[in-house]
Amino acid sequence: MRSTLVVFRKEMLEILRDRRTLIAIALAALASPVVLYVISQVSSRTASETYTAGYSGDIPAGLGVLFSSTGLKLEPVADPATAAKQQVDIGIVFAPNELDEYYDPTRQSAQIADIRLQEILSKYDGAKVAASLQQKGVDPSVLDPLPVTVHPLSSPTQAAGNGFLSFFLPYILITMCLTGGLSAALDTSAGERERKTLESLLLTPAPRAQVLVGKTLAVTAISLAAALAAIASMLIALTQVRFGPGQGSLPVTLNPVAAVVMVWLAVLLAIAFSALTIALGTLARNFRQGQAYATPLYFVTIFPASIVLFIPDFNPNLGYYLIPILNAVLVLRDAIVHGTVAASSLAVTSASLLVTGGLCFYAALRLFTREALLVRS
Amino acid sequence: MTPSAVRIDRLEKSLGSKKVLRGVSLEARPGEIFGLLGPNGAGKTTTLRVICTLLAPDAGSVDVLGFDTRTAPEEVRRRVGVVTAEFGVYPRLSARENIAYFAELSGVLDGDLHGRVDAVIDRLDMSSFAQQRAESLSSGQKQKVAIARAIVHDPPVLMFDEPTSNLDVLASREVREFMVEARGRGKCVIFSTHVLHDAERLCDRVTIIHEGRVVAGGPTAEVRGPHEDLEDAFLDLVETSP
Repeated sequence: MRSTLVVFRKEMLEILRDRRTLIAIALAALASPVVLYVISQVSSRTASETYTAGYSGDIPAGLGVLFSSTGLKLEPVADPATAAKQQVDIGIVFAPNELDEYYDPTRQSAQIADIRLQEILSKYDGAKVAASLQQKGVDPSVLDPLPVTVHPLSSPTQAAGNGFLSFFLPYILITMCLTGGLSAALDTSAGERERKTLESLLLTPAPRAQVLVGKTLAVTAISLAAALAAIASMLIALTQVRFGPGQGSLPVTLNPVAAVVMVWLAVLLAIAFSALTIALGTLARNFRQGQAYATPLYFVTIFPASIVLFIPDFNPNLGYYLIPILNAVLVLRDAIVHGTVAASSLAVTSASLLVTGGLCFYAALRLFTREALLVRS
Repeated sequence: MTPSAVRIDRLEKSLGSKKVLRGVSLEARPGEIFGLLGPNGAGKTTTLRVICTLLAPDAGSVDVLGFDTRTAPEEVRRRVGVVTAEFGVYPRLSARENIAYFAELSGVLDGDLHGRVDAVIDRLDMSSFAQQRAESLSSGQKQKVAIARAIVHDPPVLMFDEPTSNLDVLASREVREFMVEARGRGKCVIFSTHVLHDAERLCDRVTIIHEGRVVAGGPTAEVRGPHEDLEDAFLDLVETSP
């Protein structure tokens, strides 16, 4: 194992002197707060923005008050249908006992104005019906024959925070485990060929498996550092930024189970990605070619992380936990949302990621010891 | 007769579909500079790569100080130092760190490490740039780093593959002087080159390879024969070879 330690120490020294890798880690740590700040600004602006409803006709009594309290400004226009295309966000024609709405669904402002209008009309209809019933001596509660009192077993705002984390945390974890160490991985593999040091390295009596383990460990350490730095900065940023007026900060404290699971998954992912990217880098003649080989990996990481966004209630059976990367997303989602992870899911996920890392390492070792590697270079 | 340091017997090697070595045999001894000569593409580098275990022979055998390259590759690598024309160094490490890295990988133990590295730096007159990062060194200085890392574990067999092809006149002379010095210290120095003028000046014995076959071998003067120089002899041999 002495050779492994020697290689690890040297690779770490080189990596820490490499501006590219340091910039990648710094960007990883800065990216999340910046993205969150932008999201919070956009969401705050959207929530507090007043949209314009162009109208014609007579506004029914009492409806105008509801408009002004819901952030919809009424503005008289000659032709609401035409005005709704560009001049205002939504068009309304008030006729006796009915209302025509015009909006362009391709405009985001129109969609938001439409939602607000539906809320207003729902309140207005409810109030009118209740008033009519009261006039006729009927208790308005007949409209609600089965009143429901909701008793949430956990804080809805905490649930919202967990929902947010369950998408972003796996995404950042996986992306950073890949990209944080990518430059180092390519430098230690393709870079050896590019700067013509590979032959000298292979000429030493150090067992090649030990050399490769040293390289993989160094890249793993950097990947892990990048991923944890990114996640730590995101968690800190989430306690500082606000999402929408009056909502305050999202309660995004990571529960202890999720924290432990996240670190464990980060280790497994970092090992697997390190072995994989070193294998790809060993195939490449130079750094640039290595980057080209590694590009498809970005898509591989984005798809599984997105599944939680597009199918939030995705309830997989144990077989899904065999699929590398997707399994990490699912386990981490379970840990964040439910505060617990089934032992079987975690075991299958761990085994799957370890086997993936092992296979990638084996592939890298085979490539590393091929004669063609030297002949091609 | 002095026992051989490197012995190659009917070595054959193909790279892809191309047969590069076709039954090469030779012996190099301690305390001599052995010239491995031939034009570009003759098979010199492939021969050296087989000797130092980077490539495995398809047929025939190679042993270094009694260790077979197939069965004891790590023992062979422990006893060999190689300097090539493409002397890549780790740019973000200093010259000294580059040398120390290879010393450790070559089995120099921690207690000996600093002493060995310092000794090599002194011997190659590298003190003025030993602490500089390799990325800032000149070609000649990088070549010295390459030589230093190849000899830091004090191997009995040294192989130089076109070591002066990327160097200026002064740096080339220093490399040649180093080879002569190594011979004086009893090392087996194998010098692969297509520059026959250099070989004639330095080598005690030579083997000329052409298209993967040995076309001549023996003491340098004997191979030169009646010709004015080794180059004429080489051209004559190549033209008359089947």
